[in-house]
Amino acid sequence: MLLNRSNSGKRWRVRPDGPGKVTGSMAYLTDFSAEGMLYGRVLRSPHPHARIKAIRTERAKELAGVHAVLTAADVPGLNRFGIAVPDQPVFCEDIVRYIGDAVAAVAADTAELAALALELIEVDYEVLEVVDDAERALAPESPQLHPQGNVLHRSAYCAGEAQRGFECCAHIVEETYCTPRQMHTYMETEGGLFVLGEDGRLNVYAPTQHGFMDRMQLSRILAMPQADIRIVSSPIGGSFGGKDELNVQPYGALLAIASNRPVKIHNSRWESVRAGLKRHPMKITMKTGVDGNGKLIAHQVSIIADTGPYATLGAEVLRFAVEHVIGPYRYEHIKVDGVSVFTNNGMSGEFRGFGGNQAIFALEGQLDRLAEKLGIDPWMLRLRNMRMPDDAGPFGQPIAATEGAQQVWQALQASRLWQERASAGMGSSFSATTSEEPWISIGYGAAFTMHGAGLGVGIPDPAGGRLTLAADGRIEAVFGYEEFGQGLLASLEQMLIEQFGFAASDIRMIIGDTDVVPDSGSTTASRATSMLWKSLQNLRPMFQAKALEAASRLLALPAAKLRLGEGGIWQQEEQMLLLTYADLAMYSKERISCTTRFHFPTSPVDRVGAHFLYTYSAVAVKISVNRLTGRVRLLDQYHAVAAGPVINPQGFLGQIEGGSSMALGFTLTEEAVMENGLYLTKNLDTYLVPTIAEHRGTVEVEPIEDLPDFDQYGPRGIGEVGSVTLAPAIASAVHAATGVRISKLPIQPELLQLQDIESFLQRR
Amino acid sequence: MSLDQYAAPAVHLMVNGQDMTIDVAPSKRLLAILREELGLTGPKRSCEIGRCGACIVLVDGAPINACLAMAYQCAGKHITTVEGVAQEGEGELDPVQRAFLEEGGFQCGYCTPGMVITVKALLSHTPDPNEDEIEEALSGNICRCTGYGGIKRAIKQAVKWRNGY
Repeated sequence: MLLNRSNSGKRWRVRPDGPGKVTGSMAYLTDFSAEGMLYGRVLRSPHPHARIKAIRTERAKELAGVHAVLTAADVPGLNRFGIAVPDQPVFCEDIVRYIGDAVAAVAADTAELAALALELIEVDYEVLEVVDDAERALAPESPQLHPQGNVLHRSAYCAGEAQRGFECCAHIVEETYCTPRQMHTYMETEGGLFVLGEDGRLNVYAPTQHGFMDRMQLSRILAMPQADIRIVSSPIGGSFGGKDELNVQPYGALLAIASNRPVKIHNSRWESVRAGLKRHPMKITMKTGVDGNGKLIAHQVSIIADTGPYATLGAEVLRFAVEHVIGPYRYEHIKVDGVSVFTNNGMSGEFRGFGGNQAIFALEGQLDRLAEKLGIDPWMLRLRNMRMPDDAGPFGQPIAATEGAQQVWQALQASRLWQERASAGMGSSFSATTSEEPWISIGYGAAFTMHGAGLGVGIPDPAGGRLTLAADGRIEAVFGYEEFGQGLLASLEQMLIEQFGFAASDIRMIIGDTDVVPDSGSTTASRATSMLWKSLQNLRPMFQAKALEAASRLLALPAAKLRLGEGGIWQQEEQMLLLTYADLAMYSKERISCTTRFHFPTSPVDRVGAHFLYTYSAVAVKISVNRLTGRVRLLDQYHAVAAGPVINPQGFLGQIEGGSSMALGFTLTEEAVMENGLYLTKNLDTYLVPTIAEHRGTVEVEPIEDLPDFDQYGPRGIGEVGSVTLAPAIASAVHAATGVRISKLPIQPELLQLQDIESFLQRR
Repeated sequence: MSLDQYAAPAVHLMVNGQDMTIDVAPSKRLLAILREELGLTGPKRSCEIGRCGACIVLVDGAPINACLAMAYQCAGKHITTVEGVAQEGEGELDPVQRAFLEEGGFQCGYCTPGMVITVKALLSHTPDPNEDEIEEALSGNICRCTGYGGIKRAIKQAVKWRNGY
């Protein structure tokens, strides 16, 4: 059944954070201000690669209204940050490695004074040769950006003997796929407020996807105990992975401490572009062979990822890509080699899809090309090679068995859109329609994927939370997760209502404040809804037992006769409210509070990064290509998503529609263009994210909720999967419409423009 | 007249129905006046080049990017921010806001104040817009979260309510 408001009935709910958002009354952390607040700014390198010979800050310090000017010498602790590997300087000491590198920071009475102070800081640079290409960075003669050289990480996987496998193939396709440096483009740029309390504790009000990780990293930088740092991190105006790593926090914290005044930093869009993370540009070369029946025999892949100057999660993204270039298919022989390479380009890092977007675009492109060689329908080729429910995962690791792959394949096959394609008689072959505008060609395409959730084997991935009956009778659900728009609070509220029987007015949800929440792990990797669900599964019997026992004592009724419900404790059989939560809280001698802690489920193997839970998706699209302009328009899309039960229908629909929109940009228009280590796209006038004009087509989302009876894991993540399968479906449709194979994103319109339009029209 | 007064002459504005006199430089951006001088943080700062629409407010009923409008251009004008769109007697929400709320026309919500204002302006002169008119009106409002699906459904719902069908 398609997901929409009318099919969702009463499960379609107004989000708890909605009223504050539609009225503008909800303050984001970058809306905060404080009495006596200063404005912080960061001086960043104008060069992608240079040696710092001298920094003179005297003139800036002498400017009236400037309260702090800081450089590397002013960092009391570790002058580095990075979630996985702390190798990024807070302030560069000797070498700058990209144009976002920080050299100094100032705090001043006004934003204008802070900007002036930056101009008064003099830095002498000796410009060095720029390493702006990942492949050339691997050459021995390339300048080496780090003591370990230019390789951040290598990741490989091998099963069977690919070389020998190719000898048995009837058809082999070799292709190189290139993907763009995509920008998260969260509408709220990085920023926050930093306040040193009178008690000497530092209060950080700045978005992040894991408050406790920021606290640990800041503790290291400031040489301050973690207990002295409070991170308030929600609500957030979008993140998509981009605010998981530290950004302005080290500067805000250091400036607030140095000036002993509250400091606000809010990046301009250009500063966000130059300093912030992007999706890794990848070059993926694949050689894939099938036998005469279309059975996949051998698959050989090499991946080169441009990770930019510092590590952040570059290694983890690469490992994810290595897993997802194998994907949901069976092969006899696999060989994958990946390398993540340091360059002087912009920082690459975590971004929705996490390396899957690039990998799936390439892998699905191979399936399409092989189908063409075989002369069979590309969608049928997927079926022929698809994994079976009990098959091992891409790395041969045990995974949670579901029929997700089969389910989404069949759902797409039966979908209105795919039936339309069949009735239009449009297989994989070149096709075109419309007589009024004969230069418009129509095509249909589809793609298929499995996408991993959680951080994977070998990476701490804790989860958990707390339920407490508060003194005022509210049931407090306390979790260390963040709300950046995905609808985490709405999902949590809906589960508490549906699974516990509470009314919305019984509930108080507390997130995003390290002083009061437990560490529930990061809000990343499509994991938070699954972990909330599992937490509540664990907490429900505990909380129910404690609450009913306490009520039983107060009411002198057996606990078995009682149940949790709206407003309080109800008599099990008769529909009667016996005791309000407020009275239960007031009169119960025992505190009713339960905590759960556990680890995200992982596969019992030692392959670092291997996943255990997957979401499956199949996407079909109908597109038009204007052969005069080369412009591709998305007319219709269908998404089948097998992710277990839908927790929040509105949120689910929004995640798939929104993820798909991001993928549309990745496919057609988005690229943060760099030349010689410098960004040419500095703002949203040249960096083109999809607008409403690109979204005129229809979108159908069909969730597949069935899980095997034995399944213990409940809802799978859907935060990322909407963003990974659209690009190859569009590429496939473009081929169907034009006969042109796409191997580089975003699609270049000139490839689709007909040089000789007259003879084209005559042929029609 | 002191030099200070000369540098920052008084600007008279009507903001969300209230008369205001603010001492700011004539080139000060409206967005900064609203957010920093008046504490109206509904209009958001995002691209600051008039591309994304997160800062859009009504100036004499027309949607304007507050990041581009200067103080002197707003002198004597009626400014309406998202905080001021709900009319008295309509409850706490304008029908456009209620439609966004019920249809899920937002996720992170950062673009929503500008979206609400733009839709409000659209419906004020085009009560039953077709797809082309919606596209034209909203082409200056970027939403990165929703893919515009919820926003389009919210507009349809607001139109239904407004036109009583």
